[in-house]
Amino acid sequence: MCPESVEQVLTRYNDSRRCLVEVLQDIQDREGYLPEEAIRRVAERLDVPLIEVYRVANFYKSFTLRPRGKHVLTVCKGTACHVRGADRLLDELRGQLQIESGETTEDGQFTVEAVNCVGACALGPVVVVDGEYHGHMTPHKLRGLVASLQES
Amino acid sequence: MEKRVNITIDGVHIRAPEHTSVLDTAIEFGICIPHLCHYPGVPDIGACRLCIVENVVRGKPRVTTSCTLKVREGMEIHTNTDRIQQLRKNVAEMLVAEAPNSKAVQDVAVRCGVTDVPYKFHNEECVLCGRCVRVCNDVWQAKALGFVGRGRDRHVAFPFEKKPDFCKHCESCVDLCPMNRTPCPGPMKKGEEFVCGQCESQLSMAEDVDDSCVWCRLGDGFGCTRKVQAQ
Repeated sequence: MCPESVEQVLTRYNDSRRCLVEVLQDIQDREGYLPEEAIRRVAERLDVPLIEVYRVANFYKSFTLRPRGKHVLTVCKGTACHVRGADRLLDELRGQLQIESGETTEDGQFTVEAVNCVGACALGPVVVVDGEYHGHMTPHKLRGLVASLQES
Repeated sequence: MEKRVNITIDGVHIRAPEHTSVLDTAIEFGICIPHLCHYPGVPDIGACRLCIVENVVRGKPRVTTSCTLKVREGMEIHTNTDRIQQLRKNVAEMLVAEAPNSKAVQDVAVRCGVTDVPYKFHNEECVLCGRCVRVCNDVWQAKALGFVGRGRDRHVAFPFEKKPDFCKHCESCVDLCPMNRTPCPGPMKKGEEFVCGQCESQLSMAEDVDDSCVWCRLGDGFGCTRKVQAQ
C-alpha cells in the first residue's frame, strides 16, 4: 500500500466529503481494493466518521475490502443471464477453482464475483474477465478461458 | 409558552406540543402504542414498525409509524383499528420469529396479541432496531457503531468489526439493547421456543380488565410511562 496515492486522490478532490464515493472508487482503481489504512485516512481527511466510510465501502458491491486476485472473473446473475444459465457458469468456476463467489484462490490468481447485472443483457450469459466482456458464455468456453489465464 | 397543536388520537382531543412525534404525544397522554425501537431522547427511525397507526389524510387512513410522524394541526390518528391490530400482530410475529429468546420482544409481542407464531424461528441475536446505533451516533456522538452491509447481510458493527479506540466505553449500546433483557423463565432452548406462559397470563388479564395495561415490564427498559402510572 502506497500512502502517497491515497493522499493524491484526496487532494484531487479537495478533501470534499461530497466526493466520498469517487474517492473510494479512485483508491479502489489504484490499489485493486480498499485497504484499512486508506479508509482510515479518508475518514480523517474528509472529516467523515470512520463508521460512515466503512459503511459506504461495505454497501456497494463494487468496493472490496480484501485484496483481489490477479484475475477477476465477474459472473452476471441478472435476469437475462440467469435464465440462460449463469448458475452453471458459477458451478463451473466453483468446480475448477474450488472457491465460492466473493472468494479469492489461495495462490492469489483468481477472484470470482457474482453481480446482479452488468448491463449487457443481449449478450447473456456474460462473464467479465478483468474488465473485458465475454458474451454468450458456456461452461465449456469458460473452462478454456480460465485455462488460458492460468497458462499466461 | 410553547406552541401547541390540536390533534385527535382515538377520538380524544389533545393539545400536543409542537414538533413532538405522535408516539411521544400518545405516551404522554396515556395512550399506549406498542413500540420497541423507540427510546425516550433517542432520535426515531421507525425500524421496528410496531408503533404503526392510521393517519387520516383527506378522509383516507394511511398506515405509518407514529414515532416518525410529527404532530400537525388537525391531525386525526387511530391507534387501534382492526387493520392496525392485524398488521401490528403480524409485525410482532415476525419479530418473535427473528429473536424468540428476547424477553423484550416477547413482552411486546404478547401486548400485540401474539400467542402463536406461524413463522420459522431464526434465533437471531439482533432485530436491527438500531437503538445502539442511534444512541452511539446521535446522543453521545461517539460514532463507533453503525449498520453495515445491506439486505440480508445488514448488521450492527464497529468499523472493521473491531472496537475502535474512540469508543467511549459508555456501554449505552448494551444497556439499550432489547436483546439484553433477561429471557422469560421456562424452556427456551433452541427448537423449543414459544411465547412463555407468564406473558400469556398477562395477556388474559388485559383482556378481562378494561383499560389495564399488560404489565409487560416495558417500564424497566423501555420507559413506558403507562407502567409508571399503573404503579
